[in-house]
Amino acid sequence: MAAGGALALLQAGATVAFAWALSTLVVGLIAGEPPVGASTIVLVLLAAASVRALSGWLWEWLGSAGAMRVKAELRDALLTRLEDRTGRRGVTTARAATLLGPGLDALDEYFGRYLPQLVLTAIATPVLVVAVWTADWVSGLILVIVLPLIPVFMALIGLATEVVQRRQWDRLQALSRGFLEVLGGLSTLMVFGRAERQSRRIRTVTDEYRSSTMKVLRVTFLSGFTLELAGSLSVALVAVSIGLRLVAGDMAFAPGLFVLILAPDVFLPIRNVGAAFHSATAGLEASRDALDLLEDRPTSASGLRTDAAASVDADRGAADAGEGLRVRDLVVVRDGTPVCAPLELDAARGEFVALVGASGSGKSSVLAAMLGFADRTGELELDGVALGAGTRRLVAWAGQAPQLVEGTIAENIRLGSEDADPDLLARAVAVGGVDLDASTRLGPSGAGLSGGQAQRVAVARAVHRALATDAPLVLLDEPTSALDPERERTMAVALRDLARSGRIVLVTTHRGGLGDAADRVVRLREAVRA
Amino acid sequence: MPDRSRSVLRQAVPPVRRLLPSVLLGVLAGLSSVALLASSAWLIARAAEQPPILFLSLGVVGVRAFAIGRAVFRYLERLAGHDAAFRQLAEIRVGVFERMLPLAPDGLASSRRGDLLSRFVGDVDELQNVSLRIVQPVASAAIVLAAAFAGLAWLAPGAAVAVAVVLVLGIGGAVLAQVLLAARADDRLAPLRGELQAAIVEHVQALDVLVAFDAAAAGRDRIRRLGRDLERATRARASAVGLAAAAMSAVGAFAAAASLGAAQPLLDGGRIDGPTFAVLCLVPLAIAEVAAAIPVALGSLRVVRASARRVADAVPDSVPPEIPARPTAADRDASEPRVPAMRRVPTIELRGASARWPAVAVDDPTDGAEASALPSLAPLDLDLAPGERVLVTGPSGAGKTTLAHVLVRFLEYGGSYRLDGVEAREHDPREVRRVVGLVEQRPWLFDEDLRQNLVFARDTATDAELLDVLDRVGLAEWVAARGGLDSRVGERGELVSGGQAQRIALARAMLADFPVLVLDEPTASVDPAQADALLRDLLAAAGRERTVLLISHTGAPAGLVDRTIELAGNAARRRPDLP
Repeated sequence: MAAGGALALLQAGATVAFAWALSTLVVGLIAGEPPVGASTIVLVLLAAASVRALSGWLWEWLGSAGAMRVKAELRDALLTRLEDRTGRRGVTTARAATLLGPGLDALDEYFGRYLPQLVLTAIATPVLVVAVWTADWVSGLILVIVLPLIPVFMALIGLATEVVQRRQWDRLQALSRGFLEVLGGLSTLMVFGRAERQSRRIRTVTDEYRSSTMKVLRVTFLSGFTLELAGSLSVALVAVSIGLRLVAGDMAFAPGLFVLILAPDVFLPIRNVGAAFHSATAGLEASRDALDLLEDRPTSASGLRTDAAASVDADRGAADAGEGLRVRDLVVVRDGTPVCAPLELDAARGEFVALVGASGSGKSSVLAAMLGFADRTGELELDGVALGAGTRRLVAWAGQAPQLVEGTIAENIRLGSEDADPDLLARAVAVGGVDLDASTRLGPSGAGLSGGQAQRVAVARAVHRALATDAPLVLLDEPTSALDPERERTMAVALRDLARSGRIVLVTTHRGGLGDAADRVVRLREAVRA
Repeated sequence: MPDRSRSVLRQAVPPVRRLLPSVLLGVLAGLSSVALLASSAWLIARAAEQPPILFLSLGVVGVRAFAIGRAVFRYLERLAGHDAAFRQLAEIRVGVFERMLPLAPDGLASSRRGDLLSRFVGDVDELQNVSLRIVQPVASAAIVLAAAFAGLAWLAPGAAVAVAVVLVLGIGGAVLAQVLLAARADDRLAPLRGELQAAIVEHVQALDVLVAFDAAAAGRDRIRRLGRDLERATRARASAVGLAAAAMSAVGAFAAAASLGAAQPLLDGGRIDGPTFAVLCLVPLAIAEVAAAIPVALGSLRVVRASARRVADAVPDSVPPEIPARPTAADRDASEPRVPAMRRVPTIELRGASARWPAVAVDDPTDGAEASALPSLAPLDLDLAPGERVLVTGPSGAGKTTLAHVLVRFLEYGGSYRLDGVEAREHDPREVRRVVGLVEQRPWLFDEDLRQNLVFARDTATDAELLDVLDRVGLAEWVAARGGLDSRVGERGELVSGGQAQRIALARAMLADFPVLVLDEPTASVDPAQADALLRDLLAAAGRERTVLLISHTGAPAGLVDRTIELAGNAARRRPDLP
């Protein structure tokens, strides 16, 4: 910061020196009496110009380095925030992607250009005004009167801009969401012969985006216009006033020319602020969205949160503390609404339990609560420890959506346990029934596998975690929904063996095969709708 | 390939009639700026000679007019320029999408969604700079410079030459600095941005799993690394741009000094007067300001080129042989519903029909394409008489979904696939899809309300019809509980369960009223009790006049289908239906 301040002062000083040298030379030559040491003055002129240019460059470099730092920190904070899975319902993939990509890029302008220019203006402008004032106080007075008007006008225009900027940002979001939807649903659209029609929709959306952007620009460019006008009109005022006083013989030529050369430079920093203003405010909108997300704490009502609520239960006997999974009166809550009927469930280590219930009865939500992905009421303990976000190391899980990532099948299965014994991979592959070469590369989001194959990889991934981290609780959400009966039987046997090795294996299923193979079937009643 | 990115660049340049206003306004703004400095220098120098005040009034008027003109013209120029540039964007965006269509959906499956999004939004936006930062400012600056030099040459040819030499050297130096410092960074900027975006989308989409597997931190690290690379490139670019700007600001001063040196003999010789000398010394400052647009434009050109290349490459150039070729552009307007050639239920006849999936296209061309792990379809014979109900079963990996994609012409086939005796290749694939409908294994629900998710299957459907079809797929109560057709389904249908999503997708297919309906594992996420009921409902709703091909690895309740075909991976064998 100190270096930045010194740079700004250096820049201002060089500007003054340059104006002095040029005006002295021109006035002297016109008067027909070359000033003493003319060649020295030429050197000063060139040196001043070079110093100004170099310090300007350094200044810009410092600014962009600062912007990068801020951006990296913010991106990291946002990603960390997204990992709190309970209150995230409002954050769609598209929103997160826009926010973390183009949204943060918009901050470049704010932190990399706008702010440094603002600081430069604050430091350099007074120096330049003092220089003008010393040479000719009338011109100095004109500048002192005009300059403060600029921020006032900018603030007024800024107020008008804010609303339109916000709307603009929403449009950009809609644009990217619309495209992701068209892209993702392309096969569906093609089945219904609606794909071609999307060109028109894209054209309409883009065109709406243009016309709304133009509306915004008409207002935001006004601030640039105000600056430009204030700058050039002040130069004109100064020039005319100097001219009139020169004619009247009230002042000398040299200070007059000096002030004229310096006057545009007085406005240069603040003009640059104006130039960066439009893109900077767009960045500010983006950052507001980011900050909203950062501050958007999970909206759970008091007492709903997991870990604290499940403190020590008074009537729990010391004997059964630390024994297996204990679920009492568990209700999962999403967005403040209960999504399942109260569940009672006990499972000892070594047991293979199937959780069944009609579709929509909240089976997946129960698993989500065990992972700390959803709020809940009631008790939920494993070996006497309340389950939640802090206990995920005890849990291995495969959800209904396989959620594979780009990379080989082996990399997917070893996710999070990359250092595990390589033998575990083969065991996990066997339990999951993955019959593909583990070195097969998958595309983005696991593209390249059929639905059933992806599901088996996901099951193998959960099994691998259970083996690698010795997690006692294995949760599998509909692991066999895409399997033929024979494979289902094979998997059921393998899962029972997994349980026998001292783990609790809890599967949700709506199919007979897996339920028959389980040691016990627990039914989740349909939630009573209010 | 360069040809295609060049044509994208050309597409980004607005037509002359839209470009002209902004160029002219830019010229006026630039000229005002030069004239403001010239007239005020003249005014002061002339005033110092203390002439009668009348001689100055022209200068006074000029100074004020140019001051206002500069601001007004600049404002109008920016508006006109942006509007012209934005208008081109819609064209480019639609162009990308239309090039994508021939490959969709199976030729695109492997393109990163996030990367495509970044290309579609970010890179296309970048293309606005073709007009805003390159064509238009360079054209304006060139005209203003020509006029300014003509003016200088008229006053003092020597000074004009001196200023020109310094400017050319300065611009050359600035451009060289950019080439040396920023060329690599510029080329890397757009691809890095795409990679980062792709990594973010994948990370966010798989976040549940990443969190549950303690792998989120590793993912974040990867994003952080990519972010750092991007930031390094951005900073290299910023410093190059800054250096060019610095060079141009110094050039103004050097040009002023050069002009001063060249004009001094003229002043000494009495060939020019004092005020003219002052003008000659100060005007180079304004000229350099105008000329500064040129190195900036050349810097932007490289960034824009990289974006144009990415827009051009967003979609593979050639359609892989596994994807059906599209009809020629001649019947492009076939999207308008016209009377289908074969609306009645056709006889379907497959003879030795086989298919495979295109290779997984990896984004980095040096990686090459990977062979697809998706099951291919071994040569298959299959007959579907009108109104027949056939179950296709078999272990996963036998190619059941592949068969479905062949039937709706998402995938090209080997052997023969005839509809009423006509080879399917002879038809426009879209015509075939009007006859053969598909309910996918993982149906896509749009982030809209229920009505929007249904009505696109038949635009004319009334709410009553929509509710009726929802009733037929067993969703009547659920819809009522959820608040009717206006209830939203969430992003990727996250507010509805897997079974409900299937039912909605079935309802959609019922609305479209396909003569032949392929159901790919419709009951995969529905309770067994409900599954049988659903299949019964569905086949009842379909009626006997429709052909239904049901794909299921779990089979179907007895009596529902006429025949069962078992795919066994290598060979299909027919098996009599059990009573």
